[in-house]
Amino acid sequence: MDQPPHIMVVDDDREIRDLLARFLEKHRIRVTAVRDSREARRAWANGHYQLVVLDLMLPGEPGLDFARWLRSQSDVPIVMLTAMGEETDRIIGLELGADDYVPKPFNPRELLARIRAVLRRVGDSIGPRHENGSRPLRFAGWTLEPARRRLLNPDGVEVALTGGEYDLLVALVERANRVLTRDMLLDLLRGRQAGPFDRAIDVAISRLRRKLEDDGRNAQLIKTVRGGGYVLAATVEHA
Amino acid sequence: MILRLWPRSLAARTAFVLLVGLILVQVAGLAIHAMDRIDVQRLGQARTLALRVVGLYRTVVLTTPEQREEVLAELHRGPGLTAELSKDPPVTDLPPMPLPVQRLFRVSMNFVGVPGPQRWRDLQFLGGPDMGRVVIGLRLPDGEWLNVTAALEPVRPWHSPTFLAAFLLMTVVAAGLTLWAVRRLTAPVRTLAAAAEALGRDVNAPPLPEDGPLEVAIAAAAFNTMAARIRRFVQDRTDLLTAIGHDLRTPITRLKLRAEFIEDDEQRGKVLADLEELEAMVSATLVFGRDARTGEAVSALDMAELLRTLLDEAGDARPEAAPNLAYEGPPHWTVRARPLALKRALTNLIANAVMYGGGARVRLVPPVSVGAAGAMLTIEIEDDGPGIPPGDLERVFEPFHRGEPSRNRETGGVGLGLPIARNIMRAHGGDVVLANRPTGGAKATVTLPA
Repeated sequence: MDQPPHIMVVDDDREIRDLLARFLEKHRIRVTAVRDSREARRAWANGHYQLVVLDLMLPGEPGLDFARWLRSQSDVPIVMLTAMGEETDRIIGLELGADDYVPKPFNPRELLARIRAVLRRVGDSIGPRHENGSRPLRFAGWTLEPARRRLLNPDGVEVALTGGEYDLLVALVERANRVLTRDMLLDLLRGRQAGPFDRAIDVAISRLRRKLEDDGRNAQLIKTVRGGGYVLAATVEHA
Repeated sequence: MILRLWPRSLAARTAFVLLVGLILVQVAGLAIHAMDRIDVQRLGQARTLALRVVGLYRTVVLTTPEQREEVLAELHRGPGLTAELSKDPPVTDLPPMPLPVQRLFRVSMNFVGVPGPQRWRDLQFLGGPDMGRVVIGLRLPDGEWLNVTAALEPVRPWHSPTFLAAFLLMTVVAAGLTLWAVRRLTAPVRTLAAAAEALGRDVNAPPLPEDGPLEVAIAAAAFNTMAARIRRFVQDRTDLLTAIGHDLRTPITRLKLRAEFIEDDEQRGKVLADLEELEAMVSATLVFGRDARTGEAVSALDMAELLRTLLDEAGDARPEAAPNLAYEGPPHWTVRARPLALKRALTNLIANAVMYGGGARVRLVPPVSVGAAGAMLTIEIEDDGPGIPPGDLERVFEPFHRGEPSRNRETGGVGLGLPIARNIMRAHGGDVVLANRPTGGAKATVTLPA
């Protein structure tokens, strides 16, 4: 990435807009900041953006409507800023095809990490992404629901996951049958957990295996790849 | 003794009063009936006897004095009746007959026509129905006395068995109807009590149906109005809190961004830590405000796995506490609940245990009888901390209550963790209670309908 990515920030608070722009620019991300959906449409027409950070609470046209419009125009990744705990907004947003969300008040570093993760994911992926954006994923009887960030066992019972475990599982499921190196997984967990990341990945993987009832000694679902990496050995289908 | 007989429930009391009244009325009715029967029977006896006595008299008076003894002996007198001729009025140990009874006899005797010259010149009545024997003396015109002694059969007020059976049946039916009506009429009071209890646990409990008898409907409407006002009051307060919380989010976001431009690493870290704390308070307030009207859907989740995940998260956040975190119970246990709310409640309880006790032992106890109505799942969260002063065991569930101030300053928190947990569990039909363990440390017991 020689060229810094260009992103659009839509937020109605001028100070937040300016500060966020300065903060992101400090971390080598070009920012165009706008205050509402109208300005955002104009900016969208006049520029090329790799990602949109969208506050859902906007004056005038609601953020969700703008997200819907944007989705009809392009596959550009969307990171939503949601009011804390507004579950319905979040779920609708993710179902519309937003790529991630950060609850407000957000931690700037966490937002930065999410933006980078989404940009990297988009860069990695081959082929269309949004067709199946947040539809449930099925593998080996298990169901992963991105919109609700939850895992259902074959009986439809929710099995709790920590945030890190969820991100890890999504990464594995989205790239089923492809080896994920430790470095890629490290990026996912960064900012989520304290302590040594290396160990955190091993711990998270072993917990995931336990939850997926995958025998750690003779893992069939999440296989360890010699030389440092993991692979989900299963057929994934979109429900 | 009286107190012990006096029942406690309204239905039983009302039924008791009504049944005692019913019994009294029935006893009185029975007594009136019996007395009436006695009167009727006595009148009948008196009339029969009087007619027979006058009959004897007529025969005797129309016979010549010489033949009288003979005729009298031959006359059919009937059982229990003796008659003799004497020069004297009757002499017995019996007292004179009371005048009202005498009148019965006199009236009946006057029915029978006896020609004037032959009428008796004097009458004497002795004894009476109470003594079972009556002696009537009649003086003939020539001065002789005809003394008749008659045994009176005792009167039988309970003569008819069908009457008694019918009476008993009527009493039983009336008592049954009374009990049924009382139960029916006091049912709304029980409903009202249950509604008040439900309102105490959950301010959003469904309103009472405003039907039934007028007074009950009025009471239900009044209760619903009261509940609505309480709800409104609680709502206003939570709305206020929520509004403040919402408004604080923008400045907190700005401050977090500004903090990123502080050059001094140490200062920046401290500012960010303060902001984290502030944010935690705001989010707790918002959660507390929202839980009152949670709209999350109920779904199936694995409680055992949830508890282990929460312990893992607690261990990740506080690695030094990780060795003191333990789960005990079945490896899987499915419950139906609101997953996010449940997670929040249990997170708060585990966080408390870790904060004050440096660890948490979580035990999942499945209900004794699975599937039975009212079966409860129990989750015990124990720590080895200092415990809670006994006087505070309930007060810690009050919003914004904080234990010892010095302890809380360093550990942070707004005093909403436990109230939030309790709100959530009660909204699920369960509860949270705190207790001190005999061996030291605190124990939170969570119940949830299985």
